[in-house]
Formats: sequence, structure tokens, C-alpha cells
Amino acid sequence: MSEEIKVKKTAAMQEVEDKMTMLVQTGRLDNLIDVLAVVSDQIEMTTTPIVEKMVHSIDNIASAGFVTENAVRYAKRESAKNEVPSLFGMLKLLKDEETRKGLAFMLHLTKGIGKQM
Amino acid sequence: MKKKILIVGGGTAGTMTANNLANKLMPEIDRGEIEITMISDSKVHVYRPGAMYVAFHKAAGHEFIRDQRSLLMLEVDFIVDKAVEINTKANYIKGASGDRYEYDFLVLATGCQVAADRIPGLQEGGDWFYSYEGAKKLAKKFEKLKSGRVLVTVNFPKTPNIPHQCGIAPVETTMMLHDYLTEKGVRDDVEIVYSYPTKSQAVENGLFLQAPTSEVLPAIFDSIGVKHKTSFTLSKVDPDKKIAYSEEGEKMEFDILMSTPPFIASDVVRKSGLSTALEDEGWLPTDKKTLKVKGLSNVYTLGDTVDLSVSKAGGTIHNQTDVVVDNIAAELRFGYPTESYDGKVIAIAQMGLSCGMPLWYDYEEDVQPTPCSKLGSFVRLGFNKSLYWAAARGML
Repeated sequence: MSEEIKVKKTAAMQEVEDKMTMLVQTGRLDNLIDVLAVVSDQIEMTTTPIVEKMVHSIDNIASAGFVTENAVRYAKRESAKNEVPSLFGMLKLLKDEETRKGLAFMLHLTKGIGKQM
Repeated sequence: MKKKILIVGGGTAGTMTANNLANKLMPEIDRGEIEITMISDSKVHVYRPGAMYVAFHKAAGHEFIRDQRSLLMLEVDFIVDKAVEINTKANYIKGASGDRYEYDFLVLATGCQVAADRIPGLQEGGDWFYSYEGAKKLAKKFEKLKSGRVLVTVNFPKTPNIPHQCGIAPVETTMMLHDYLTEKGVRDDVEIVYSYPTKSQAVENGLFLQAPTSEVLPAIFDSIGVKHKTSFTLSKVDPDKKIAYSEEGEKMEFDILMSTPPFIASDVVRKSGLSTALEDEGWLPTDKKTLKVKGLSNVYTLGDTVDLSVSKAGGTIHNQTDVVVDNIAAELRFGYPTESYDGKVIAIAQMGLSCGMPLWYDYEEDVQPTPCSKLGSFVRLGFNKSLYWAAARGML
């Protein structure tokens, strides 16, 4: 025996029902449930050490980006301020300690890449 | 003549503000119209909330300390010097080195400090996780703990309606302690008692400084077997007998006293004569909207040193810094400030070792407690270990 129940729906409830009906009829709901299941499984399977390693990598990338951005802005400002240096002017630039520090870093970086080739 | 912006303090507030100012004012910097200088008494930058994890062996500590210069944009001049005098009439700060730093705009981001000596016996008998040294000491004690009682106490500034540093931290650490002792397998033999003072900002005889959270905490604590006690305002500690006394006339024995100690503003601010806070606590009288120090047209402040009712925490500073930066930029460009701080605080509370609860509130609305989640904990971890540094650098 079944009983008929009357439900008063708001406009918002009717809209949700219409949209859900469309999702069921087109078969999309199955896919959406699969997507939610995958997301949920990912959260379940992720551990604190995994997140730690991931964020460490993100931090490295962000740090490298920060250093590069700073250097590029500085270089642009200096280039705009100064004439293109002559060969002798180039040598004068090399006298600067910070320039030499940066160049030495680039050479070490090159070696670091070379070691992996 | 170049306009000088001087930032005092290399913590979260100072660093975010320096970098955000440099970003905001890049056209003026390129034209050589302004210079930004930071002075700090330390060459390293410390992410304070990380200490909480050290107390429970979830971090070693070094992960949360970095070279200050590495966090600042090149457009910010960085000088290690301890500010010892603030002269707002002649617009300069004097350093311990003897140097004077003149300014057109000043940002006071000098934070707050633990003042355990304000409670007799607390320095000797109590522990806290608000510093790395303190957290390491606490971690060793927790490691040895097999049975007994951990008493959690919280002290508020005597100046009305001002919170202690990071309002949610006592709750977070109580829940982390429960999880830690459970992991160790000794939770059944250790009693955790969370106590709270009679007066805590807007709440009396509660368990938290805002009413909605205070009301749900008893059920949360009951569900994990944490005992809770209202109206226990720590007034004295006997470090030898290990007894904590309250202003209300009660006493409680403990094996470990995990306290939120009294906090005061930095020495240079307390000596400046700018504060009207009670008992020489030194909180700066701050315009709640513009974030200027009241009565001073060219001095801004933010972070832990203000006398506002909002939390003294990074989640507050992250919202305040944009207001300070926009206002200074507007003053330089139009001659008047344009932005207003609405009291917004956004954070993810660490409710146990693996559960994170997003929270937000402002001057008008209190925190509405929501269930914590594993995903929330991951987001918090991501912030602690990576996003924080990007935020300090003005990247987000």
C-alpha cells in the first residue's frame, strides 16, 4: 500500500529538481559521482608526509621565482639608467663584488646541471 | 627630495608590508621618488606559529626560520639595528647603533613579547609554545610524560578588550596534546584540564574569547575527555610544589603547566609614551579603520602591537597590511588615505594533529565554528610550510 504525500516546493527546490533531472536523464550524474569519488579517494589516500613533500617543492619554485623576479627588475632598471657598456666598461662591471658573486653562482649552477647530464 | 618610508620590525607585519609597499609603489621607486627601509633587531625571520608544532614533535623548528634579506624585495633596504627611541615630533627612529632613521611615513610593526614575569612563579613553573626555545622545552617534557595532569591556563592583557597573542592557540594546542598523547598510548593516564579566566574580552566565565565558540567548546572537550574549568584566572604559580593559584581563590596541582602567558608590546613602543594601555602594557592606540596611530598623521601600525580587539595573528596581519599599504600609497599620490580595515581575520585553526578548521570573522561578526577536516589540515600544512613565505614576500 502506498500513500500519496503532497510536498509544497519553493521555486528554488523546483529548479534544483529540474537540473538534477536533466543530469540524470543525460547520464552526466554518473560521471559527476565518479569525479566526486575520485576527489574523495585522493583526500583519503593523501598523507601528511605527501603534502609536506609537495609543498616543499612548491616553496622551492616560489623562492626561485622571487629571486628571479627581483634580479630581472634590478637588471631592467640598471640597463635603462646606463649606456651599453664598452668592453672596458664590462670589465669595470666585473669589479663589483655582487656581480662576481652572481656570476660565480651562475657558474656553479652550470656545473650542477653538467653533473646531471 | 625622496620621500622616506620606514618600517620598524621584521616580523610578519613588517615583512608583508615592506614587500607590498614595494609592489604597490613600483612606479614611484622607478622614478626615484621614494625609498623604503626596514630596520629589525634580527637578521632572521621567524614564523611564530611553527613553534606550536615543535612542542608536539611535528617539526624541528629550523623549517620556520629564514634569512630576513631572502624574504625582502630588492627595493627594500634592510638594516639590522634595534630601535630604541621613537621621536614622532622630529620624525625619526633612533637605533641602538646610534644611527638615526628619518621618515616621512612610519610603520610600527614591532609585535609583542612574552612577559611571564608578570605572574609570580610562572617563569620558573610554567611552559609555553610562543617561542621556539619554550616549545623545545615543552616537547622534552611531553616526551617524558607518562601520567599526571597537564593544566592549560590563559592570561589576557589587563587593558580591556585586547586579546592575547593568537586567540585560538590555547584550544588548538589542547586538542593537539590530546592527539599526541593518544598517539603515544598514554592518554588514559594523563588528565588534561583546560582552564580559562573569568574575563576574556567579550565573554565572562566562558572557555573562549568569543561567545559562539565558547558555547560549543564544552561539547567538543567532553567528546575527547578534556576537562574544562571556567573562571580560573592564573595569579601565582608555586614551581616547587607545582600548584597554580587563581585570582578567584582556587588552586590546582599540575605536572606540566602549558600556559598562555601575559603579553606586552615591545620595549621601544612601551618607552615611547605613545600608549595609554594599563599597567605599561604598551598597546598602540590605533584607529580601527585607517590603522594610523591615533593623533599621528604619518604613523601607521598593524599586527600584534595594536590596541584593537582582533586577534594578534598572521591571519589578521594578512588583511591589515593591504589597508596600510593602500593608505600610504594614497597619501603619497592623492594626499589622503582611502582604505578602511573592517576587522577581517582569516585563518585555519589546527584542531588536533590532523584536523583543520577554516575560520573568519570581522568587527561585526564573530567566528562561527564549523567542523574541522583532514583537507583543512592539509591546507594549514601547506600554509605553514610554503604559502606563508610567499605571503610574506608579497606574492599572495
